[in-house]
This record gives sequence, C-alpha cells and structure tokens, in this order.
Amino acid sequence: MTPLILYFTADYPSTEILKSFLGAVDPDVVKYVEIGIPESNPLYDGPIIKATHSVALKNYTPSHLLEYTSILNGKGIPTYALSYYEKFSKQGISFAEFLKDDGFRGVIVPDLLTDYSEESDRIIPEIEETFNFIPFFNPATPDGLIISVSSMTRSWIYYGLQPSTGIDMPFDLEEVSKRILDLLPGREINFGFGIRTTAQIREVLDLGSSGVAIGSLLVEYLKNRDLEGFRKFQVSVREAPLNAD
Amino acid sequence: MLSTQDTAIIPHEWYNVVPDLPRQLPPPVDRDEKNSSIQLLNRILPKTILKQEFTFQRYTKIPEEVQEIYAQIGRPTPLFRANGLEKALDYKGKILVKYEGATITGSHKINTAIPQAFYTRDEGSTGVVTETGAGQWGTATTVAASMAGITSKIFMVKVSFNQKPLRKNIMELYGGEIVPSPSTETEFGRQVLAKAPDHPGTLGIAISEAVEYALEKDLKYMLGSVFNSVLTHQSVIGLESEKQLEILGEEPDVMIGCVGGGSNFGGFVFPLMKKFKEAKIFASTASEVPKFTKGEYKYDYVDTAKILPSIKMYTLGSDFVPEKIYAGGLRYHGAAPSISMLVNSGKIKSSDVTESSVIDALKLFARSQGIVAAPESGHAIATAIEYARANGNSRETILVNVSGHGLLDMSIFQR
Ligand SMILES: Cc1ncc(COP(=O)(O)O)c(C=O)c1O
Repeated sequence: MTPLILYFTADYPSTEILKSFLGAVDPDVVKYVEIGIPESNPLYDGPIIKATHSVALKNYTPSHLLEYTSILNGKGIPTYALSYYEKFSKQGISFAEFLKDDGFRGVIVPDLLTDYSEESDRIIPEIEETFNFIPFFNPATPDGLIISVSSMTRSWIYYGLQPSTGIDMPFDLEEVSKRILDLLPGREINFGFGIRTTAQIREVLDLGSSGVAIGSLLVEYLKNRDLEGFRKFQVSVREAPLNAD
Repeated sequence: MLSTQDTAIIPHEWYNVVPDLPRQLPPPVDRDEKNSSIQLLNRILPKTILKQEFTFQRYTKIPEEVQEIYAQIGRPTPLFRANGLEKALDYKGKILVKYEGATITGSHKINTAIPQAFYTRDEGSTGVVTETGAGQWGTATTVAASMAGITSKIFMVKVSFNQKPLRKNIMELYGGEIVPSPSTETEFGRQVLAKAPDHPGTLGIAISEAVEYALEKDLKYMLGSVFNSVLTHQSVIGLESEKQLEILGEEPDVMIGCVGGGSNFGGFVFPLMKKFKEAKIFASTASEVPKFTKGEYKYDYVDTAKILPSIKMYTLGSDFVPEKIYAGGLRYHGAAPSISMLVNSGKIKSSDVTESSVIDALKLFARSQGIVAAPESGHAIATAIEYARANGNSRETILVNVSGHGLLDMSIFQR
C-alpha cells in the first residue's frame, strides 16, 4: 500500500460528486481519508481549501457524514474528521461522541493547540477516551508541546510542513522533518501541507515520513468533476517507485 | 586578559525562540480568499529570509561573511556595569548595560540589515526598499545595502523626517534615497494624502508604501522588526550578553528592554531567558503607544494598507495614529507575536513610560554615564531607574539593553 492520505471537505463541491470521488478512492494507494467539517472561518487553512469551505457550507448537513464514512469504511480505509474546536465548543456537545457515531476513527483539530492551549490538557484525554485524537503539529510547535501532547495520544501524528495549506513557501524540508522525527522516535508521523507533486511525495517519504497528506491538489479534480483525472492521479502515485515501508 | 569585547564573543549561530516557547505560535493568516498575502511574501522577501521565517530552526548558522561584517560594525557591543548610574540612584544592587548604540550606525538595527541585504544581493536582486520611523532602521538599511553593492530606498515617517533633518543627510551619505511618507510615489500614499494632506505619517503607512513600491519595482522589502526572522538575527545581542555575563561572573535578576516592533527586546531577552529562567522581564513601551496595556491580543494586520498578512499580536489597530512623540521607533501599533504571547501569558511584564520621564532618564544617564541614549532606549532606562528606585535595597542585578545612541535625536531636549 502507498501511504497516501487524502483530504476532502464534506459536501464539496456537492454531496453526490464527493460520494463518487470517495467511491473511486483506491485502497491500494490510500491509507486514510480526512473529511473536513465545513466551517465559516477556517482560519488556518490556505486559500484553496478556504474556498471549498464556503461552497461546502451551502450543501452541508451533518447526516451526510455517515454516508461518506460508510463508503470508506466499506473499503477498510480508516476515516478521520478534521474539525475546528471553535465550532463544537460553541455547540456545547460532546463532539467526539458525535463524530464517532458518524463512523470516524478519530479527529484532527487544527485550532486546538494555538487557540485553546490552556484547555488542551483536559480536552485531549477526554477525546482519547472516545476515539483517537490526532495531534496536528507544524514547525512552529514548540518541542515541549510536541512531546507532552504526543504522550497523551496513541495513534498517528499529523505534521503540517508549512504555516498554511496550499501555499508555496520556501522552507528547509530536511530540517523541519528531522526535528519532529528526532523528537518522536517510533511514532507514526504523516506529513502534509504544500505537497504538490509525486516527486515531493517521494522526497517526504525518503526523509522518514510514514505517509503523505494531499488536500489542495485534489480540489482541481473536484471542482472540474474530473473523476477520471483523480483516478489517474492515484495510479500515477501507485506506479511511482515509492520505497517507504 | 579577559575582555568582554573580544571578537571571539560574536556568535556563529543565531537563536530562534519559537521551538522553546511554552505555547504554539499562531501562524500568519490570510483574510482575503482570493489573494493570499502570505503567498505575496514570496515576491518581496529573499528566499533565505522566508526559509528562516518558516523553518523555525532553533539555531541557524550565521554566514561567514556576515560574521566578518559583524566584527567590522562594532560587534561585540559592550556590556558594562553602570557604576555612575548606580551611584546617582544610590542603588545597592548592580545595574548592567548592554549597549547597542556602539555599532557604526548607532543602533541594533544593523544586526538584521546586514544579513537581509546580503541575501538580497546573493539572490540577484538589485535593490531594497523599506520604511523608517526614527531613522535608525533606515540608516542601517542604507549602510547594509551599500556594503552589499545594491540600492536602497527609504520611506521615512513624515513627522520624523521633519523632526530629524540630519537623518536624511546621513542616509543619503550612505547612498540611500529618502522620501517622506505618506508620499505621492505610491497609490496608498496618494490615497492617504487625498484624505489628509497634513498627515504626520505612521509606521503602518510607511510599511504599506514600501511594500507597494517593492512589488511595483520588483525590489526586495527589508523587514525592520516584528517578523520572527528579524528577532532571530537580533539574537546576537542576547547571545553575546550571555558570554559577557559569564566573563563578568554576573547573573541578571531583572532584564529590561524597549519594544517598538520587538526586535531589540526579543533579540536581547530570548537567548538569556533560556539560562536565567527566574529573571523578571520588563518590556518598556511609550505611554502614548500603550499596546500591551490598552491594546488587544488578536489577529491584526502588520501594515495599514493590509497588504501583508495578519498576525496574532497585541495591537492598537493597524490604523492607529499615535501622537507625534520623539521615540519614532516605538510608534508601531503592534509587537512581535512571540513577545505578545509571553506578555499574554504573564512571563513578560510591560511598563508604559511617559515622554517626560524618558527625558529625565536620558538626562540622568547622560550625566552619570556620559552616554546620550536614543529616545526609544530611554524608555528602557526609565523603567530600570523606576525599578531601582522602587527596590533600592534589594541588591538585585538589573540588566538593561540600550538599543541605540541618541546623538541624532537631540531635538527631544529642545522643548
Ligand atoms: C534605537 C531604537 N530602539 C528601539 C527601536 C524599536 O524597534 P524594535 O522594537 O524593533 O527594537 C527602534 C526602532 O526604530 C530604534 O531605533
């Protein structure tokens, strides 16, 4: 299996189109799928993903989530929700329970460590009682926080290489990779943010990442309803000589 | 003989505080869905600066060439015991001063101007553009650009331009081109002038003009403060201080610096904070620009035209127009995100200082130590004096960063 992780925003560009894409996800290439819950202010997403949220909000109904996870769970692909904490904290419901019932294996919460750092020591163990909390780190996450948050969780770790999705910033890939791998030996760490080409996917895997998350890159296929293009993309990744284990 | 001014004290690596912060630094964000202001940084900043800005490496090697120039421009700067000031205050503890006014341009600003100008040259650009408030940053930029063999253009906040005519002369002597801001050279400047022909200018407006000009003319924009990479370059101040304190056998109980955008303060305090964990830390700001006490900790724009990204910081609002105080370098509406976070968490205490107590502090410092400090630095000195007076018998060691000299800012004493 190729360690690819795909990100989709729920109900983008429409419920039906997204379902057809999820139906085409190839379990030989894709290890996990992340579904973003549409958000009016996806603060830490880049321009391409932000635009999907504003479209998706018009179509979004929570009941669609179960339809998506059913398709993926049917293929044996663990599916994770990506949701801002702000949204759920306002609703005052146990969002872990809610998402678990909808068929998700765990949750990624991009604003938790930046905006709710005081509460994270309480929230993370609570979520971990229900399902998996997937820590979301980036190069700006302090060492101390990387270590303490990881120790509260059991599953994999999402490492965003760039400060925002879908933006090309020059950064020292080797340096940022090395830091997290050195801090968390033995943990499954999947890298994302700003990965655009199969060559970059290979580079990231060679540096020791366990998998590669792709999001902005898929938006073009979704927007154009280009299911064939999406299939070909998966084939191209499968056929690229990726030598990660 | 042991000396605190041996060139061996100049560090070989810069220090970036971000990996050692207690919380995660909120990233810069875009407000506009269509045009990414973060993406735009690619067009106006050298790649190496962007890499430093977003890689968050704890230590970055200082290029050999930059290390050599650091020695030529007066590094290491002195760290000395201010016996005269201690006596004048009848203070029972010690007051130590790190003096960035001893660089050739008279302030810490040269520490980051040099690497930025050299990266610009190395990446094949022909010139740099930036803003300046008091003129210290503009002066450093013009020297650094000339040393790198590239051109420099400076938008100088109009109120300072009028208060400090010598600044223009010195920047021109160093080979720069200076315009008062708001100016008619940019769309944004023309808009401001159309609404308010007598606008005194602000750093936020001057930044906007410089960025617009850089985009238009395909030049590189020099970051004077606020950005993480600038604080990293300025870490030479604190790293040198660490070695100098070791030579002197001293340990600070209190560390004080002034905050405009936060570069001298962060550069000074961050490397020392690691070692002197218990030391009390004070950030001095101008009462007229009370960002930490009256500002809000939230996402706000770096510049008034909202061309640059939003960052999470203490801010008085990107359209805040401060009074025409002499400490032009402290008139900025916000402060670096890392410093803002630590003020918010309570690790750094803030102290607002009035212009009249700054003038008193500058006089006392001049008469007891012989140094005419910059008005910005006068805020840090005033906070130190206030602390020493309030804790006369405490025997604590106070370490103050005096970010610049004030020999070109003498008009502050003429009122
Ligand atoms: C001498 C001096 N000190 C301090 C400052 C404030 O800037 P920063 O907070 O970035 O050090 C300035 C800015 O112009 C300055 O010229």
